[in-house]
Amino acid sequence: MSIAPKPQSALLIVGHGSTENPDSSTPYFDHADEIRRRGLFAEVHCCFWKEEPSMREALYMIDADDIYVVPDFISEGYFTQDVIPRELRITGPSTVVAGKTLHYCLPVGVHPSMTGLILRRAREVAPGLDPAQTTLIITGHGTGLNQNSTKAIRDQVDQILAAGAGYAAVLDAYMEEQPFIAEWDQLAATPNVVVVPFFISDGLHSYQDIPVLLGIEPEVGPAASQREVFRHNPHHLRGKTLFYSSAIGTERLIADVILDQVRDFDIAHRP
Amino acid sequence: MSLTHELRNLLRSGVHRIGELEIQADVYGYPYVICHHLDAELSTEPALGGLDHHEGPEAARDLSTYSEDGSYRFAKGQTNLKRGWVMTLEDEAELRQALDQFYPASLGLDVARRKGSLEVEHLRDKLNRQTGMYRFARSISDAGAQDLVRKVCGPAHQCARRILWQIDAETPLEDSEASRYAGIPGDLPETEAIPLLCREACNHFVAECRKVAKAEFEAKQAANPG
Repeated sequence: MSIAPKPQSALLIVGHGSTENPDSSTPYFDHADEIRRRGLFAEVHCCFWKEEPSMREALYMIDADDIYVVPDFISEGYFTQDVIPRELRITGPSTVVAGKTLHYCLPVGVHPSMTGLILRRAREVAPGLDPAQTTLIITGHGTGLNQNSTKAIRDQVDQILAAGAGYAAVLDAYMEEQPFIAEWDQLAATPNVVVVPFFISDGLHSYQDIPVLLGIEPEVGPAASQREVFRHNPHHLRGKTLFYSSAIGTERLIADVILDQVRDFDIAHRP
Repeated sequence: MSLTHELRNLLRSGVHRIGELEIQADVYGYPYVICHHLDAELSTEPALGGLDHHEGPEAARDLSTYSEDGSYRFAKGQTNLKRGWVMTLEDEAELRQALDQFYPASLGLDVARRKGSLEVEHLRDKLNRQTGMYRFARSISDAGAQDLVRKVCGPAHQCARRILWQIDAETPLEDSEASRYAGIPGDLPETEAIPLLCREACNHFVAECRKVAKAEFEAKQAANPG
């Protein structure tokens, strides 16, 4: 779906970022580059929680007075409901901050078009696999800080089931909440298991932490840019055949989902 | 006036440095050339002095992400920018995009400072709005925070930013190399450089505050058991 050009507006993509993993912010810059190439906005910028520019600094680098803020996050939760509004001083759908109007869009991960991207990712990582013999697990972080953090993943599970993709089972599992991804082999009854990490980047969690929980790696290894893990699919572990994909946010088409969220914001709040 | 125009005016007024980057105009027909300031002389030689040539701002992310020894530069004010490359840029818009990658928002922050519209946030304000795992950082003592500035900030710890914040509105930072630093590596006057500004403590500093606050709490517990 395309959106009309917005030559008077800026797009500000908000990401998490990391002080430890240099690959963490790569997808945000890739998404920004992709959208910048299309020439739809006067300016396209990124800002971060853990990297620079910070959210508060970011407004100083934008000329436009009209700014769409899209959280490049996978769920509505602690960051999109607490941290980003606090840091950007957002109080509603549209907020005037320091003379600029910020339009706060929904995070990319809750958009319905993510379902298609997950199924595509699952097929790519395990081509030719019989879905009837396969469990698809969507995995995320999970946190006690905000009850909504897991909702996006549970919604995706429901939508994939409703789409009738043919998998024997479609499940959600988390790093820090039940059901635990570390117990993937007990959660899945089928011989084949495909795990898609519902994260934006192949950063600390999806590239370094979850492979340890799955049993692919004995201990937390170096960052993705220093090594390859995903090319070793499938993994024969715990009596099953496991396929582990790269993070959903590394998909180039996330740029379209960012634009979908801008369009949906306009439909809801600027008709 | 747009930031691109502001940048053009700054360059015309004699500014040619931001952080460790040297900005040169009109080198062998290239409208703008940027490189590590220690490579500036080499970059004006034929064939750009044999430096790795990047056309356009796209490579700025990679060049700014890793230091010479491959370590990750999560704070872009770090004084360990890689050498051996040169980037040619077509116009001020490309230059601005590259500068915002090497030194995010630094141009905009300095333009705001020059206009008197830069909002500085003191450490207590920054710490008091932390939630989640960083909430505990709030309890750091003033003395602990003052000590941390000397241990974490300034060029001795690879940060080239000028600290604008105080502990709170009434409590300035104690005098140290870090608190005095002008935000301009290489002793240039301010008429020739865009200083790197620190308008509020960075996340790295907040994370360190949390560690000190925890250590202070544990020390107190140990001193007064029960």
